[in-house]
Amino acid sequence: MSPELVFQQALNGLSFGALLFILASGLSLVFGMMDVVNLAHGAFYMLGAYVALSVVQFTGSFWLALLVAPLALALLGLVLEPLLLRRLRGRHLDQVLLTIGVSLVIVDVIGQVWGREVRSLSAPAGLDGSVALVGGVYPVYRLFVIGFGAALAAAMAVVYRRTKIGMLIRAGVEDAQMLGALGVDTNRLFAATFATGAALAGLAGVIAAPVFGVQPGMDTDPGLLYSLVVVVVGGLGTLSGAVAGSVLVGPADTFGKVLFQDVALAVIFAIVALVLLLKPTGLLGRIRIAR
Amino acid sequence: MLVAAAAAALITFPYWSAPWASRFATTVVRDALILAIFALSLDLLVGRAGMPSLGHAAFFGAGAYAAGIASQRLATDQLPVTLGAAALVAALLALVIGVLVVRSEGIFFLMLTLALAQIVFAIAFQWTAVTGGSNGLAGIGRPMLGGLDFSAPDSIYVLVAITFVLVALAIWGLTQAPYGRALIGVRENERRMRALGYDTARLRLSAFVLAGTIAGIAGALSAYSTRFVSAQDAGLGSSVRAFVTVLVGGAGTLGGPMVGSALVSLIERIVPSLLPTELRISNAILGLVFIGFVLFARQGMVGLGRFAWLRLRRR
Amino acid sequence: MIEVRDLRRAFGGVLALDGVTLTLREGERRAVIGPNGAGKTTLINVLAGEIPSTGGAVRLGGHDITRLRSWQRARLGLARVYQRTELFSPLSSRENVALAIASRRGPYRVFGAPARSEQAEADTLLERVGLAGREGMTVHALSHGERRQLELAVALAQRPRVLLLDEPTAGMSPLETARITELVASLERSLTILIVEHDMDVVFRLADRVTVLHEGRVIADGTAEEVRGDVRVHDVYLGKAVTVA
Repeated sequence: MSPELVFQQALNGLSFGALLFILASGLSLVFGMMDVVNLAHGAFYMLGAYVALSVVQFTGSFWLALLVAPLALALLGLVLEPLLLRRLRGRHLDQVLLTIGVSLVIVDVIGQVWGREVRSLSAPAGLDGSVALVGGVYPVYRLFVIGFGAALAAAMAVVYRRTKIGMLIRAGVEDAQMLGALGVDTNRLFAATFATGAALAGLAGVIAAPVFGVQPGMDTDPGLLYSLVVVVVGGLGTLSGAVAGSVLVGPADTFGKVLFQDVALAVIFAIVALVLLLKPTGLLGRIRIAR
Repeated sequence: MLVAAAAAALITFPYWSAPWASRFATTVVRDALILAIFALSLDLLVGRAGMPSLGHAAFFGAGAYAAGIASQRLATDQLPVTLGAAALVAALLALVIGVLVVRSEGIFFLMLTLALAQIVFAIAFQWTAVTGGSNGLAGIGRPMLGGLDFSAPDSIYVLVAITFVLVALAIWGLTQAPYGRALIGVRENERRMRALGYDTARLRLSAFVLAGTIAGIAGALSAYSTRFVSAQDAGLGSSVRAFVTVLVGGAGTLGGPMVGSALVSLIERIVPSLLPTELRISNAILGLVFIGFVLFARQGMVGLGRFAWLRLRRR
Repeated sequence: MIEVRDLRRAFGGVLALDGVTLTLREGERRAVIGPNGAGKTTLINVLAGEIPSTGGAVRLGGHDITRLRSWQRARLGLARVYQRTELFSPLSSRENVALAIASRRGPYRVFGAPARSEQAEADTLLERVGLAGREGMTVHALSHGERRQLELAVALAQRPRVLLLDEPTAGMSPLETARITELVASLERSLTILIVEHDMDVVFRLADRVTVLHEGRVIADGTAEEVRGDVRVHDVYLGKAVTVA
């Protein structure tokens, strides 16, 4: 492989990693706070992309879609949490099962409303060109994705460590029950957390669309599959875990696909297996296992 | 005695139902039975050992592919070879994945099985050279036993039905035996089991491999039936479907997976014919039904049945 | 029978066990007492193998079991009774005991229901601990005292050489306490027993020797009489600082 190719693939890997971070952070957040692995996370991701599709179709604005889709998903999350999850407070495994049902419904509804063909979303004007870079050209949009992901990670880190909300989240991740005992309205906190997780998934869907397309099956691949792999590898429940996981899995997957093509995912399998054997809680994670 | 009669009726279904039921009916029941075998194997994990696996389709798919590839590459259609290959490959895959997941519990276990199975699925989907990739594996040979050709629709049905009865009997026997009791013990209080001297990690691994093997056999049967293996057979949708079947029927019971597979098959077959053809939402309906059961009838239909029975007896 | 040498267990910076050494002869009844936080439960957990030690060694019947897991120690003849009942809730008393019996024969028997002899043995044990007539009842239906009796039956079903009892009379009425105490007193003399207890009456009734723990260390070790008169033990229970000899 030529140096230019390596460099390009490295950038590809980073942009994929950035996307994975946006996607996985929501999953990790919800688990950290509520002890629930939201298996509808991939469906939320998919819904975000399709909503963006419609917004662009009606208004022509990618940026508007970038705003509307996460908001729509947040709204959905705000409805679903009290309607379904709250009824099973304390029954974590059953809550996870619920999210499976939700995902089945959402995916079918998407297929019904938007159809089952492969669709695409173009990068917004201004970001749809290529830029000369190290002996070749590289799509601007992918650089944007890297920047966006990094900025989001930085913003989340600031919120997490410096704001009151962040403190609530950190406390909740540590011990949500204690928060309730201290007088915090855990119902609202959980609903807000779930909504944020959904919004992040939707955001990831919009950002990913110009790169990965919009099609049936995207809820599992890349959606759920990669977000799970990232949190398993990086560690559930922590921001740094999501970062670590994305930064590792993104480039590994990209290079795997280049080097091994057909059996590229064997690389991912190997990484997950290694992590499970050597450090089962993930590289930077603290797992609380709930039944 | 009643059970033997029911089993006999089930196995000979195509023959005595011929006057009033179409060939299609045989296909429907056949597929429901394959799902039932798959679900019974999953219930060993979910219902008995308390291991909620969402990646069971990986073994179903592995068995299907193994049977198909064996029949093509080894140029033989003999059941012992192709079915044996299916069982062996599924068992090995279950061993590899099992070793990685067996030390975790509950939600984490669920996540891991899902993730690892998805990776297996993705490999199957992309490895065109071996599995046919997204096109699937076509031209599966007919299942033969010596000179007996099982490929006719009625004969395939009989093969599936006999396997179902054998699997159901085996699982029933297992759950009565000390092994089954030990699995329940691991589910209820693993810490105490270890204090009693049980190597619980190994017990769970054995259950995982056993369940995976049976799932592989179900997969092989599916390959023989449709003469085709699609990557979707090993996908999340297939795993979820089996899980839904187990829960909706009633986890931890022998009848649960059977009743569940009947219900799921019904929904998948009947619903599309009741709705306008443009409305393809049988998965959504399944999802809603599943949500309903998780919220209101966690013990599944068998649980509902028991509840109703107890209420009736009190009157 | 049991040799504990310089056992240590640290949790982060806290030394729950700080060099505990004690030796039990076969058939001995040893009580371990001490104020709250002395490390008694940690000691049992480490001996049982549920928590690894961070230093020191444990020997059982001459074998070094320091590195062995809990199930491996159980197979070597170690059984324990938990402070908070750890049973198999939806199962009946008989089934609970049967699981312990089955473990002796190995769990991989896949053919046939458990032998009649196992059922009979379970019933005999249940009768022995005073649960005759309760064989078919699930754990839910038993009273607290009865559950403790069942715990004991389950542990005995393992045919152990060593029994670890973690506060067997915790939360019991005087009647229940007396019943359990007599039960333990009536156990075979070949069985080595280590009891963690708070109730001094029980200690005096059952123990040949008493070991006193304080802040993870042994501060006294002798017969019940000797310990009763030991000034340092009094001080520890009364909250005064103690220098360890």
